Amino acid sequence: MAKVLIVDDAAFMRLSLKTMLAANGFEVVGEALDGAAAVSMYKELMPDIVTMDITMPTMTGIEALKEIVKYNSKAKVVMISAMGQEAMVKEAIMSGAKSFLVKPYKEEHLVETLRKVLGV
Amino acid sequence: MANLYSQEPMIEMYVFETSQLIEQLETAILLSEKYSSFSIETINEIFRIMHTIKGSSGMMMFTNISTLTHALEDLFLLMREEKATHIDYGGLSDLVLESVDFIKVELEKIKNGDEVDGKSDMIITEINHLLKAARGDNASLPLEKKGAANEAPKFYISQSKKPSPEYKNTFKAVIYFEDDCEMENFRAYTVINNLKDITEAYEYFPPDIIDNDDTIQVIKEEGFTILLKSDKSYQEIHTFLSQTVFLKELELTELLEEDKSFQSLKRTPGTEGIEKPEDLRGNIATERELRDGNNHQSIISVSVGKLDKLMDLVGEMVIAEAMVTQNPDLKGLTLENFYKSAGQLKKITSELQDMVMSIRMLPLHNTFHKMHRIVRDMSKKLGKEVELEINGEATEVDKNIIEYISDPLMHLVRNAIDHGIETPKERLEKGKSGVGTLKLQAKNAGSDVIITLADDGKGLDKDKILQRAEENGLMHKPVEEMTDREIYSLIFLPGFSTKEKVTEFSGRGVGMDVVMKNVEMVGGSVAVESNLNVGTTINLKIPLTLAIIDGMNIKVGGSSYTIPITSIKESFRAKKENILTDPDGNELIMLRGQCYPILRLHQVFKVRSAVEHIAEGIVIVVTDGEKTICIFADELVGQQQVVVKTLPTYIKNLRKIKGLAGCTLLGDGSISLIVDVSGLINI
Repeated sequence: MAKVLIVDDAAFMRLSLKTMLAANGFEVVGEALDGAAAVSMYKELMPDIVTMDITMPTMTGIEALKEIVKYNSKAKVVMISAMGQEAMVKEAIMSGAKSFLVKPYKEEHLVETLRKVLGV
Repeated sequence: MANLYSQEPMIEMYVFETSQLIEQLETAILLSEKYSSFSIETINEIFRIMHTIKGSSGMMMFTNISTLTHALEDLFLLMREEKATHIDYGGLSDLVLESVDFIKVELEKIKNGDEVDGKSDMIITEINHLLKAARGDNASLPLEKKGAANEAPKFYISQSKKPSPEYKNTFKAVIYFEDDCEMENFRAYTVINNLKDITEAYEYFPPDIIDNDDTIQVIKEEGFTILLKSDKSYQEIHTFLSQTVFLKELELTELLEEDKSFQSLKRTPGTEGIEKPEDLRGNIATERELRDGNNHQSIISVSVGKLDKLMDLVGEMVIAEAMVTQNPDLKGLTLENFYKSAGQLKKITSELQDMVMSIRMLPLHNTFHKMHRIVRDMSKKLGKEVELEINGEATEVDKNIIEYISDPLMHLVRNAIDHGIETPKERLEKGKSGVGTLKLQAKNAGSDVIITLADDGKGLDKDKILQRAEENGLMHKPVEEMTDREIYSLIFLPGFSTKEKVTEFSGRGVGMDVVMKNVEMVGGSVAVESNLNVGTTINLKIPLTLAIIDGMNIKVGGSSYTIPITSIKESFRAKKENILTDPDGNELIMLRGQCYPILRLHQVFKVRSAVEHIAEGIVIVVTDGEKTICIFADELVGQQQVVVKTLPTYIKNLRKIKGLAGCTLLGDGSISLIVDVSGLINI
């Protein structure tokens, strides 16, 4: 089972991601509430894939992404963005995010994205 | 619950989080309004709140909420980038608050499982107007696009100077993305990004995907075309490209070696763009501004239902513990070790109980700060100026109690502004400051919390109250016998508020009697003091908690009663000679020069008791903080923590029971009735 780290400051989004992922055979190994926590949890848990919200307090998703990629250039990070964040998505992609999802997304798209990025 | 969204924990979380966020939003707006400016931190906070609500609402398919928050998010984004030069802050606050109200209503619908059908179009139109006005004349482009245009191209594509190695095979791939995948150009870019792992020789069309949003249309219509060279087989490349996210269709063809079209690919891809990291910095800086001092706390949220259940269980345990340690079978046995262990158990249960209680305690902060909004709206509409002063909002009260007093408090605040505080003109004529003050404060007093709401308005007019009470047939005592406090209390009687007084805010059918009812429901009391033209003070006395109290068990005839320890002052055996009888036959007792009435419980509750002689029973002095009386009972049984259970509804419905607050189970399994001291005093 693929190990997933969820990064989002909104409890609702974490719950929703967790529910969808658990229903599709992913193992959620951790949930980080901000970018800084995401980086340290990534190093600790070494998940197979990370879902990363962009707008978060303390450290944004993009900064966290950069830190994670610096730590492990093979890290698989999928950004969770929203409409109107084109510029940030662009920066994320150029900083090494493997893919991105735009809220609101459908469960099948989430699952497909993660599976494809994982290459399974 | 018959609704579309059956994932209940998700809805619960959504409602919980969104309510919290809009509360924060409301506070932020009111605070900004107070200082008539929006600090950059506030703007960032509001932006983030909007963003979160938008995301969650979108996921739950509450489109009306997500479009509304999206519009607001745009507005605050504009402010964040300091491009909003012509913003009308007053109008902005009104709009945001209007949106808050809209979301509140929708959340209520969601909670009740109703259709989420509110129309946010009106507010959105207004927001767009404001947005347009705020942008002034100079801007017409959407913001994000502008940002994107400023950015220099930066490519990830192989920058290596070494010549591309010769590859065996050449392929042409055309990728079509799914219709609803969004940002096709970036999707295409991720393909290129991954491609660099397997080859360095590739070219794609349209070329400027990352900087030109028009390419989205091209990719949508014609697909994204890649020419590439690699040592990998057709199958391998096919598998590789099939991993593209949101892939709808992939056309992969292997080109022959002599196919000239690929010659153009021989140039080094690195020449396509020069990295300019400094241009990215701007973006990072804005991102960094987004951070705020929010410390991440290790807090989890638990549903109240679970806490209630936990509380119940602890309550049951307290009873069970008493049942074990006070078991009649143990009587007369020497059980040294047993009592040692039982003592240990008792210590742990009481710690557990304290802990559970403390979990349920919430500060009054939110309840109090909600009033800011009411004060703002009302003073605006009524043309009055009112300053709300809040003190002691950190005082903690049981969660259930907060729910009960929130509405009464709101009603009292409305009432105070509507009927209490005068218009600035009237105030100035009376020699008061034009701005009225409303003081809301809370403080602990023993096992109670006292919430005081004081205004410096016109005060209550005793004559008018009496007149109205008379008109409505509410007088049950001659006027001469009534104390001021009793007169003021008339306003809390059902039927006192008349239609004549209905205004937009207060007196909408729900009168002050609702205030009284709610407060009494949690075992509290309301007291009013007032001075004409000086102001009115309303004191709400409410218990800290409803669940477990320290009680003194007493016996009257064959029945057990429990008196809350906090209301007992002392108990003693009275002597016949200290008893006085007034002309009406009421018994009184002299105690250190003071005279107190005696209430015989067996008479009040009509219980047959063998103990009728005053010297045979026990006199317990109890107080509700204002008045003190003596209760006469057969004997004291002992002190014990008891779990308060409400009286069964069939008893409550039978008639209005005065003097009883509830019931509890004793260690031997029998039922004891909990005495409501203030009820008894006012009987």
